[in-house]
Amino acid sequence: MSEINDQDLAWPVRDKVTAVQQDAWDRLGRPGTWLTGAERVAIAAEARNAGDCKLCRDRLGALSPGAVTGEHDHLGAVSESEVEQIHHICTDPGRLSRAWFKGLGDCGMAEERYVETVGVIATIFAVDTFTKGLGVAPWPLPEAQPGAPSLARPAAARRQMAWVSTVSPEDAIGTADEDMYANRPRVANIIQAMSLVPDEVRGFFDLVAEQYLTGAQMYDFDNEFRAISHAQIELVAGRVSALNQCVY
Amino acid sequence: MLRASGQHDGSEYDLSVMTGSDSAGGGVANGVMLLRFAAAVLTNDAGELAAARTDIAATMGGAALTDTAGVAALFNAIDRVADATGIPMEAEKAADTADFRAAIGVDNFAAADEKGAAPD
Repeated sequence: MSEINDQDLAWPVRDKVTAVQQDAWDRLGRPGTWLTGAERVAIAAEARNAGDCKLCRDRLGALSPGAVTGEHDHLGAVSESEVEQIHHICTDPGRLSRAWFKGLGDCGMAEERYVETVGVIATIFAVDTFTKGLGVAPWPLPEAQPGAPSLARPAAARRQMAWVSTVSPEDAIGTADEDMYANRPRVANIIQAMSLVPDEVRGFFDLVAEQYLTGAQMYDFDNEFRAISHAQIELVAGRVSALNQCVY
Repeated sequence: MLRASGQHDGSEYDLSVMTGSDSAGGGVANGVMLLRFAAAVLTNDAGELAAARTDIAATMGGAALTDTAGVAALFNAIDRVADATGIPMEAEKAADTADFRAAIGVDNFAAADEKGAAPD
């Protein structure tokens, strides 16, 4: 296990933040739903490596990312299409497109593995950007744990509103995955985005609740829950999303 | 959500700072330094990030700095979830925000027409 230790930082980190990041880190190394622990750690390592890729830098400078061809600088531990997925999401998320996603599917990418990979990338960005912001070196990646992925696809998952299949809140009722939407005043589309792999929803939204706010706290403007106000939180969130060219 | 926050407390925040320069804080307390940090943490400019970090810690305190870092990091992650899955904005939210999204240029982002409906 790779231990996250915020005790020596010059600034106070809330215990709950440290706890959810530790849980997320432990989960990175364990077998997931469609990926082994070794695959999850390899994807995390490739996500960290993507920032050093020359092809990605060249694409960023191009009018269209598809106009620049070549080979990614990669670590050699995941497939070619997974390298493309990881690098594009990490380095140029604002220009992901339906055509690009369809191209990965045409190359044999299964949407279940795709979604779980998105979850791994999101975990890495949530934790690594946090340590970067505080001037701390990235945590060492966890060791991969043995075991097989569960391969459990939610029976209610279907193509309906996104590029990937999702489980709607009403379809989740009475299923084993009903809990991923429990205790939420509103089930925004973003919460449903990774519902094809429910454990990614559960894990990632534990980070959301502590690094940002819970659903109830978001709309409770009569109270403040952090050392910065609602307005300050939303200013930072909005600026990051604008710089990432995120339209959601 | 910033607009909703302002509507609640009677403040009129300038949402154009989301896509504009960092020289104005949008009317939010300590907005300039928060925007500076949000921009710096996405770059590889270690000096700029260190300066932004120091400003927040000195002015707002260490707890404010760590919470700011947490929010910036979380949105750097969740943006990728939204963009990589093609999840669309809720129709109600899209209607409620159409005016300022057009005004501040969000509708011009490359992915603006890429969300929703799975490819065949």
